[in-house]
Amino acid sequence: MDLDNARELPRAGFNFDNCKRNATLLNRGFKPPITTKTGTTIVGIIYKDGVILGADTRATEGPIVSDKNCAKIHYLAKNIYCCGAGTAADTEMTTDLISSQLELHRLQTDREVRVVAANTMLKQMLFRYQGHISAALVLGGVDKTGPHIYSIHPHGSSDKLPYATMGSGSLAAMTVFESRWKPDLSEEEGKKLVRDADPTGVFNDLGSGSNIDLCVIRKGSVEYLRNYELANKKGKRQLDYRFKTGTSTVLHTNIKDLLVTERVQAVPMEIS
Amino acid sequence: MSILAYNGGCVVAMRGKDCVAIATDHRFGIQAQTISTDFKKVFHIGPRMFLGLTGLQTDILTVRDRLMFRKNLYETRENREMCPKPFSAMMSSFLYEHRFGPYFIEPVVAGLDPKTMEPFICNMDLIGCPNAPDDFVVAGTCAEQLYGMCETLWKPDLEPDQLFEVIAQSIVNAFDRDAMSGWGATVYIIEKDKITERTLKTRMD
Amino acid sequence: METLLGIKGPDFVMLAADTTHARSIIVMKEDQNKIHKVSDSLLISTVGESGDTEQFTEFISKNIALYKMRNGYDLSPRESAHFTRKNLAEYLRSRTPYQVFMFVAGYDPNAGPELTFIDYLANALPVNYAGHGYGAIFASSIYDRYWHPNITQAEAYDVFKKCIAEIQKRLVVNLKNFTVAVVDKDGVRDLEPISAASLAA
Repeated sequence: MDLDNARELPRAGFNFDNCKRNATLLNRGFKPPITTKTGTTIVGIIYKDGVILGADTRATEGPIVSDKNCAKIHYLAKNIYCCGAGTAADTEMTTDLISSQLELHRLQTDREVRVVAANTMLKQMLFRYQGHISAALVLGGVDKTGPHIYSIHPHGSSDKLPYATMGSGSLAAMTVFESRWKPDLSEEEGKKLVRDADPTGVFNDLGSGSNIDLCVIRKGSVEYLRNYELANKKGKRQLDYRFKTGTSTVLHTNIKDLLVTERVQAVPMEIS
Repeated sequence: MSILAYNGGCVVAMRGKDCVAIATDHRFGIQAQTISTDFKKVFHIGPRMFLGLTGLQTDILTVRDRLMFRKNLYETRENREMCPKPFSAMMSSFLYEHRFGPYFIEPVVAGLDPKTMEPFICNMDLIGCPNAPDDFVVAGTCAEQLYGMCETLWKPDLEPDQLFEVIAQSIVNAFDRDAMSGWGATVYIIEKDKITERTLKTRMD
Repeated sequence: METLLGIKGPDFVMLAADTTHARSIIVMKEDQNKIHKVSDSLLISTVGESGDTEQFTEFISKNIALYKMRNGYDLSPRESAHFTRKNLAEYLRSRTPYQVFMFVAGYDPNAGPELTFIDYLANALPVNYAGHGYGAIFASSIYDRYWHPNITQAEAYDVFKKCIAEIQKRLVVNLKNFTVAVVDKDGVRDLEPISAASLAA
């Protein structure tokens, strides 16, 4: 029994207990369930004083929009952020994991971590899993060697670029960068460029949608502009559906009171 | 057929003004054959916290047991109550641990933060991608229908009584268009001072 | 092909199981008992892959017996069902999963009777009435019509008779004989088997 309990204590790393059973079930003709994906348009550029990252905010489960306003720009370190596309859980967990490792690295070396370090850690992890962790990332940050943008593919390859796009809307967004990006853009020009590039994905790619998030990383400061642009506002509802209390037929009700009134009563001690 | 639809069933949770609601259907079936109409997929796991699990029933039970084990261990170690937010984080990492051999479930968490009494709702996919919006979350075989119902009926700052009507009408009308779920429903309204459990009268076909 | 039936009443649980042991298209024997007495107030009925049923039921019942020897008291029906399900779920994830469908039926002096439905995926649920196998398809509508919360043992036995008559009339497979057992506050005991002959009489 003790052994049983100890065995259930969480162990580090992935757990493959269910694999065999799941394979048998799927062999019987059951379809595997779909996971949440971020179809996504994520972009990043280098401008004069730093980098700007941009992302849409739609998450999908097949054809269903499962989150209309999710955050795809993840924190890695004070000076480094990372946009994620692909399987939502993978991008979330991978960036979280690398973020902790970068913080430990920073404490150990007592220096601001560099963007190359983040790039190397991410690509080594993704390569180790041979593409099974489907995270496509745009990594951006500023360190003592200047501003950097990397795009990292799920199999572990990476490119160091002045401007990058990823996700299903990457082609649409890239058209804007190809025609309008130039070296040494000002911050205003840079923001305008990213703000123009991302919605091309939002409006032309079904996997991307809703709002635009921006993250401007300069030397020594970061500006995370959540919902920088509300590209798709919902129409205002004119009337509302109000149900009269008692519309739904209730068979029985059970109320559990959570307020415990406690009274302490002093009992005189017996003195012999 | 998806393995998530083997047993059928659905869960929905909504935020209200200083309250949250979570509702479940009652059906337990094996594919098209209904075995029981008394299986609630929502579990009361803390004074003001509920966990709803849809999907393969064997995994609903296993995941519920494993999560309770970890939650109890946390509460014993820390000597304090587990809030909905850390519970969801724990569940997310538990599910992601099984990234390459997942449990076939889709969870929903609803509760109030024990300190601030802030409403909290959250759902995940089967590998633990968290999603905590400020309106509503759904899971189960009639998720599409539930999205439609909730999107039209829900509005911000509903009082407990109104929230009950909204969630009840949403789930009842959603699963009327789903053969795999239904056969009765239960709604829980969680408020600061009380939890109200109401069993709904529904179609039984 | 094989069939199990189970009914829970206010103070008892009754199980019925066919006695056919078939291999492919051949009937090997007609008197196999599929309802196992595990303890003084616990019954487990099992069908499924033929080797697995014996192996798994024996494994569970011996462990329940071991628990009693170690602790001096029995595992309650609820605990037994949980133990059974947990083991089945763990074996499901191994190289050698058991293909078994079962009912765990017991009587707890405090908690009353308990009937737990468990299938080969380790789906498990306490139920008032249920069945396993092809015969259960005919049984479910009969249960729905005749079961009520205050059902007596005689009535439950009658419901089984109705189910079995229907199975023998409509199911293409020939299930001649059904053993019946009951568990209540006085422990477990066998009832008169239900067969085509006894139904005709």
